[in-house]
Formats: sequence, structure tokens, C-alpha cells
Amino acid sequence: MIYAGVDVGSLTAKAVLLRDGRVAAWHVEPVSATPGESARRVLEAALEKAQARRDDLTRVCATGYGRHEMTFADLERSEISCHGLGTFTSNPVVRSVIDIGGQDCKVVVLDDAGLVDDFAMNDKCAAGTGRTLELLARTLGVSLGELGPRALRARRALPVSNKCSIFMELDVMQWMHQGRRAEDIARGITASVARRVAALAGKVTLRPGVCISGGVSKNAAVVRELELALGVRFVPLAHDPQIMGALGAACFARLEHERAREHDRRVLRASDPVSSVDAAATPDCAGCTGGAP
Amino acid sequence: MSVFSELRRLAEAPHNDYLAAAARAGRPVVGAFCTYVPEELVHAAGAVPYRMRAVGSSGTALGDTYFSSANCSFVRRVMDQGLRGAFDFLAGIVFMNGCDHNRRLFDNWRHANPATGFSHMLFVPHAGSPACLAQYRLELDKLARVLRERLGVEVTDDRLRASIALYDRRRRLLRELAGLRRAPEPPVTGTEFLALMLAVTAVPPEDAVELIERALEEARAGRAPAGTPKLRIFVTGSCLEELSHLELVESHGAVVVADAVCLGARTFDRDVGDAGDPMDALARRYLARVSCPRMMDDVKGRMAYTIDAVRAYAADAVILEKLEFCSMMSGENYIAGHELAKAGIPSLALTRELYGGEVGQLKTRIQAFYEKVGNRS
Repeated sequence: MIYAGVDVGSLTAKAVLLRDGRVAAWHVEPVSATPGESARRVLEAALEKAQARRDDLTRVCATGYGRHEMTFADLERSEISCHGLGTFTSNPVVRSVIDIGGQDCKVVVLDDAGLVDDFAMNDKCAAGTGRTLELLARTLGVSLGELGPRALRARRALPVSNKCSIFMELDVMQWMHQGRRAEDIARGITASVARRVAALAGKVTLRPGVCISGGVSKNAAVVRELELALGVRFVPLAHDPQIMGALGAACFARLEHERAREHDRRVLRASDPVSSVDAAATPDCAGCTGGAP
Repeated sequence: MSVFSELRRLAEAPHNDYLAAAARAGRPVVGAFCTYVPEELVHAAGAVPYRMRAVGSSGTALGDTYFSSANCSFVRRVMDQGLRGAFDFLAGIVFMNGCDHNRRLFDNWRHANPATGFSHMLFVPHAGSPACLAQYRLELDKLARVLRERLGVEVTDDRLRASIALYDRRRRLLRELAGLRRAPEPPVTGTEFLALMLAVTAVPPEDAVELIERALEEARAGRAPAGTPKLRIFVTGSCLEELSHLELVESHGAVVVADAVCLGARTFDRDVGDAGDPMDALARRYLARVSCPRMMDDVKGRMAYTIDAVRAYAADAVILEKLEFCSMMSGENYIAGHELAKAGIPSLALTRELYGGEVGQLKTRIQAFYEKVGNRS
């Protein structure tokens, strides 16, 4: 049986296929104009990698901002729940998740089953998100992928506001006009984003076993700054941290299927007429020869 | 046609046929900004009390010329509506010192002077002590004098008693309808109830009573628009008038079964009664009913009300609503979150702008919260 999780966010679409409890294939690509189309494309790409067809899918769970547009999905779950279960599946010691996506940031605290116990999410401001990093990298004249390595080569972090993306950009431009090193400015940007996320994390009580997921987790400088700000060492994940939402969705697809099967079994048992039970034919009835009154 | 369709139509427009008919009959319409403005007093002065709202608002462009972006979206939107002539049918407005935003609304309104008749500020004390009650009583006398001067009608004891009886009847009917929401399959959704509250505070009370009676009749006939909800939700907050927002709260199989909001329990909690001096009785009821966070001496009372109501209505969780920049609800929600947690009741604090969009993020929070509550059950 194959379960699929599809996560359409603000910047990228992700799909994960679970077969026999393991990640059989996954795919990530930038979102297209419509969430439904992005979801279809990314799912087809994952199916191709797994050499499977749509008909092979047992259940599909949708998550992310585009979850309501995925008409082909069997169920949907919030990305908060999906990032929780996804990271927990990837590393069972995880109890707290910092997820920094394209346009939002979430901090999720999990119970011992990987389900949401508490969470905090940024308000409408995008100052602690991937979109800000993208904007400021462009302002600095470096690629998004280059921003982290540059920051890691810095001698110091130049102060950059964390109140608003636009004010951050003004600070960055001011440092650039003064001819300061791009590395030091990059470090200021990553430290600023990290402070913002750490403030959000302060709204919940983190449980030990903290990990980071989402696209921004690939920025090593933000990760390091965040570890310093929170005073923790992030636990590693067995899979690409960007696919945690889609992985969680695939796990929910499996859970839902198992629940439905269990429900059907119970209904079947409850509706079985007593007279139809053939005790002699019932297997594994220890000590019973079939002749008991 | 179901009365709930008619109520929805009434709720979605600032003006309606009932108000037009009242105007044709020579009855002035007077706006009131808060549940601490006794509608009975306005009614006894021969006017139709009208609960001020931002319904139909298309933006804040004009309102923003008077307010900063750090003022709450309710006052900015209402000001905008006023400047666009949406309330030109009013003969006057009774403002109230609910918070600093509302106080500045009064100042700006008088300065801008839209064609909405007189403006009067009712100063309501921030506590319910005997001294505050006496002061509030004096403020009501002052309001009665202003109404007499502006509308030419003396608020006599007999007129006031008749108005109190009418409004007590409206409150009893509303309580009865609200009480039906205790059922496992509530006959009225939270969105429908809010639409009803918006409607019955925008029509003459005589018509309101008839509308509520029709709603009760339909509710008793066994309707269950949402079936058995997966989750039963209690909502607290202050200014909450967006039907679309409650529809969002009621997504994913949840139904709002009770509330502590202005256009809800605060309007219909507790009768005035017919004993003693009617103005005294009026003052007592308004300072004694379930309070708003502006009242500084009743935090415990509000928490107890919420926890009792959550249990009485078998609510699974509480949503603590507030508008951005509402400092009163910020403090209140912080305390409520802790008190509810102590009582084992899950809660979610939501901050929004009135008619402000942000649907995607709100949806995610609400859905994740419901999933979290579902995980525990």
C-alpha cells in the first residue's frame, strides 16, 4: 500500500510517498500559478520516481496553504499537525519543532505520539520567514543559497532590525552604502531572523528534542544563530527537512486508512449474528475443541 | 422563507426596511456604541436604538485620515462608514468611553461632524462599586436630559417602565433561544445566532421580539443545520460582527454553542425587572450583568462566567477573540488562557482585523487547534 502526502506552501510544493512505512519517493518543486496544479505536478513526479501510478495510492492527504484546492485528496490536515508528525516519524526523539517556511513560522510542541500538544505561529508579519531571507539576499546581491555560507564566513554580525522586512531591508541598504562586508551584513540578517523565531518560540514551553524543519532549515547560518538564541542543539532528521509537512501528511493518510479499517472491522463484528459464528471453524481458540456448550 | 435567511439579510446591511418604516412613522433612530448604553432609555425617549456597526464597510481609507494604523480596525471602519454617509439616517449617536479608541472616535466624529445628528458621550465608570453605581445613575440622568433636549420627549417613569418591559422580553426570548444551543444537535449555529443579534439590534425592539419569536418557533420545530458537531466551541471577545469570521470558526465540523461577546451574552444577560425606581433598576442591571474587560474589578466574575458556561453548554474548547491593538482584550485573553488551562479547558487566542482577511493563516490556526483538541478526546 502506498500513502501520499502533498504539501503546497507559498514557495514550494512537496510530495512524499510512503510504502511499507518507509519513504519510497519524494519530490520538491517551486509552486506554479494554482495550488491544485502544483499539487498534481509534484505528486506525479514523486509517483514517477517510485515507479508507481495514481491507482496504486491507497490514500492521499493534503496540507499547506494549498490544501483546500487539492480536490483529489482524501483528507486534509493543517501543516502544523503534519510538520509535527513528519518530524516525529523522521526522528522519534523529536518533541518540539521549529518550522520556518516561505511565509510563516511555526513552533510546535508534540506529545509522545507525535501529535500536536501546543503551538505558536507568527502573525501576518513575514519578518521571520523564508520570504524575508529571499528579499534580503536579493538586496544584498547574493543568491538565497549563498546567503548562509556568506554569513558563516562573517567576522561579526552587523545590527539588522527584526521588526519588519522593510525596515530590515533599509538596514541592509544602509550597511551596503557604508561599504561594509557582505558577509557581516549576511550574518546580521540571519541573526535577525533567528531572534524573531526565538521570540516566537518563547510563547510555548519547548520540550527537549527540538528539531528544525522547513526550507529555511537549509540555511546553516540561521540554524546556528537559532541554536545559540534558544540554547539548544537541534536533533537531526533522517529525511530532508523541507519535506516534513508532506511526510506528516502521508503518515496521516496511513493513520486515517488504518482507523477506517479498524472501524470497518468493529462494525462487521458488531453486526455479525451470533448464530452465524461457527465455533469449530474459529481458529486460535486455545483450549476449545469446538464442542463446548 | 426561513426567518434565518431574513435575519442574515438584515445582518448584512447597515440600514433596513424596518428602520425606513420607523422613520416614516416619525420615529428617530439613535445609534449606540456599546452594551453599556441602556437602549431602554433611548427607546423611552421615543427613538429606535441602533447598535453601531461596521457592516458593509469597504475599507478604511477615509477613517485612516483621522486614526493611526495602530488604532483598532473597528473604530477606523466605523469612522470610514460615517464619513461615507452610511449612518446619515441617524438622529444622533450615544458614544461611550469603552476604551481609548472609542473615546477618540467620539472626538473625531465631533470634529468631522458627519450628518448623523447629535453626539453624546455616556461616561460609564470602570467598576461596579456603590460609588460607581451612583455615578453611572447620574450619567443616565444626564443622558435622559440630552435625549429630551434633542428629541423633545420626556423620559417619564411610566415610559421607561414600558421600555424596560419590552427589552426584558427581548432578553428573555434571546436567552431562551441561546439555551436551545445546549442540545447535542444545536438548532442554531453560532453564525446564525450572530446574524440574529446583528439583526435584532438594528430594528425597532417591537419588530425584534417578533423576529426572535419566529426564530424560536423554527428552532423548536427540530432544525439542526450542522447536525451533531465534532467540536462545540465557546467564543469570548468584544467586537465581533463578521459572519464570515464565525463561519471560519465553524469550519471543520465545529459549532459555536455559546459566547461572552458584546453581540451575544452581554446583550441579553440578566433582566432589569419592574421593581423600584426604573432608572435605579436600569443602572443596577447594566453594571451587574456579565461584564466587559473594560470593567476593572470583575476579572474573576468573567472567568467564572466563562468556565460555568463552557460546562453548561458542554463546550470542548474556547476561542479567545481580539482585534489587533485592543489592549483590553490582550490582557484579558492572557489571563483567560491561564485560567482555562487550570480548569483543563483548551483555548486558542486569535487576533484579527475587523473584515481584515488573513483567512489562510486563521484557517491554519483554527484547524490545528481543532486537531489538537481532537487528539486529546
